[in-house]
Amino acid sequence: MFKRILVASRGEIALRIIRACRELGIETVAIFSEADRGAAYLETADQAFCIGPPKAADSYLKIDRVISAAEIGNVQAIHPGYGFLAENAHFADVCRSCNIEFIGPPHEAMALVGDKNAARALARKIGVPTVPGSEGLVHDEQEASAVARQIGFPVLVKAAAGGGGRGMRVAVDEKALAASFKQAEAEADAAFGNGELYLEKYVEHPRHVEVQLLADAHGNVIHLWERDCTMQRRHQKLIEESPAPRLDDSVRHAMCDAAVRLIKSANYTNAGTVEFIVDRQGHFYFIEVNARIQVEHPVTEMVTGIDLIKAQIRLAAGEPLPLRQEEVRSHGTAIECRINAEDTTKGFRPSPGTIHRIYPPGGFGVRFDSHVHVGYTVSPFYDSMIGKLIVHQPTRAEALAGMRRALGELRIEGVKTTVPLHEQILDHPAFIEARVDTTFIERTWPS
Amino acid sequence: MTGSPSNQDFFDVRKIRRLVDLMNERDLTEIDLRQGEARIRIRRAGEPAMAGAARTPLAASPPAAPGPPPAKEALPAPTAAPPMEDYIVLVKSPMVGTFYAASDPDSPPYVSIGDPVGPETVVCIVEAMKVFNQIPAEVSGTIVAVLVENGEPVEYGRPLFKVDTRK
Repeated sequence: MFKRILVASRGEIALRIIRACRELGIETVAIFSEADRGAAYLETADQAFCIGPPKAADSYLKIDRVISAAEIGNVQAIHPGYGFLAENAHFADVCRSCNIEFIGPPHEAMALVGDKNAARALARKIGVPTVPGSEGLVHDEQEASAVARQIGFPVLVKAAAGGGGRGMRVAVDEKALAASFKQAEAEADAAFGNGELYLEKYVEHPRHVEVQLLADAHGNVIHLWERDCTMQRRHQKLIEESPAPRLDDSVRHAMCDAAVRLIKSANYTNAGTVEFIVDRQGHFYFIEVNARIQVEHPVTEMVTGIDLIKAQIRLAAGEPLPLRQEEVRSHGTAIECRINAEDTTKGFRPSPGTIHRIYPPGGFGVRFDSHVHVGYTVSPFYDSMIGKLIVHQPTRAEALAGMRRALGELRIEGVKTTVPLHEQILDHPAFIEARVDTTFIERTWPS
Repeated sequence: MTGSPSNQDFFDVRKIRRLVDLMNERDLTEIDLRQGEARIRIRRAGEPAMAGAARTPLAASPPAAPGPPPAKEALPAPTAAPPMEDYIVLVKSPMVGTFYAASDPDSPPYVSIGDPVGPETVVCIVEAMKVFNQIPAEVSGTIVAVLVENGEPVEYGRPLFKVDTRK
């Protein structure tokens, strides 16, 4: 097992990883930018090094600086958290060539699943359903239009290197497609330095359901059931829950089975997530693999009782999976609300500022993963998430009641947050009855 | 920050001076006292204390409102150092790595206290990922303090030298 791990992330996930390490008796080295200097979570690490100025490109994304900190910190492994370098196959490769284990999949598997086109081709090859679309990249508007006529409108234009909804456009007809293609190309090029696009059928009223997996280096893969992340706004998830409500058991099993086969055939190890969309008839389609720990991982931890961060560390150290598939059980319902410092009344504009009061909720089945405190300044340099509120109860109705109660207790003053929107969602009959799709929030609360 | 008579007692200058002496004597980094709603928090600023320094830099924070105490700083900011005479310029590390005062173990240090430097003068090496980066002073003057030990890990922005720009 590792003696010392560098945490190559910031905020709540850095704290989450440090906590897991402390419980495992592993020392931690934190890195931070000048914008995060003084944040209390850095004190929970054994050591902390400033690696650069606030801009992520000059600090958290700077591979040489992260590796240099790992070397002076004398660590055996790096946990990348999510975001920043977490899905950078080159970084994973650099770590290992410096004899520092990267806590994540092999870089070859990461590169394979990170290329959405290659991942879809692999899925089709092993019989995992994918959304009908272009065979590979589409290079210009003419080609896009030919493909669209074949699969039928509406179509979705997507970036090959994309993620988090960036570089994605829906086109309802040929005219819209021409405009969308150009916009998506420019956006993908700006965001990822890669303007390559592909096309797929736009599935109407889709739900977003994803399967959590763990894989060891000895060929064993297990799934930890699914999470429903349908409650998103512009492809940014706001609420996640497990199990997915109103999902037929046969569909659930088929999806989990498909996800295991995909991960196996990609020679993937460590933790990963396979994302699907599901239509109203229960048809599911593979979307992408997230080759990292995800923001919403606590939902799965609560229902299965498995600490995913500890599992990642143990798997990276070469340990076999501690349990077989039939031993993975899901109990009750867990639901998570992402608390972002955003002004929901002003187009979800980030609301940076200093927190001058915070009262975290507690009580039965309540977990609040957050790195913020009184005097903490939410910086404009990074994402606006300031905490994740997770509630675990025996039934969905009880989980929703628990979440309403916990949201009511939570007090954050100094910045605007998504809490008022969460409260409205939790009271909305469509959400209570789980009759929603991924456009529900945008349609119901247009801004 | 007006207080009741008891609060004025609490912030008695002689008492604060005794606390400062106690910090120096015991080499403490922080003292945090509360009495009712009044509070005294004295904390050393980030810069490593130099051997033979005449005064230890100290910063006193104002009494805080009741409520959870503000978090301690994980690594106090270099900028939290006490105000310096404006002719003193800090040479800071441009990267995270290991500080070396000399080009190799058998050589004398690039610079020592009293040495004149120009913007191009190499003052040290910071090793990052096996690369030995020569760090220029980027300022003209005289080295008046070396703030890190040979072989010490340094983070981004860590003050390495003090340069007196008058001379």
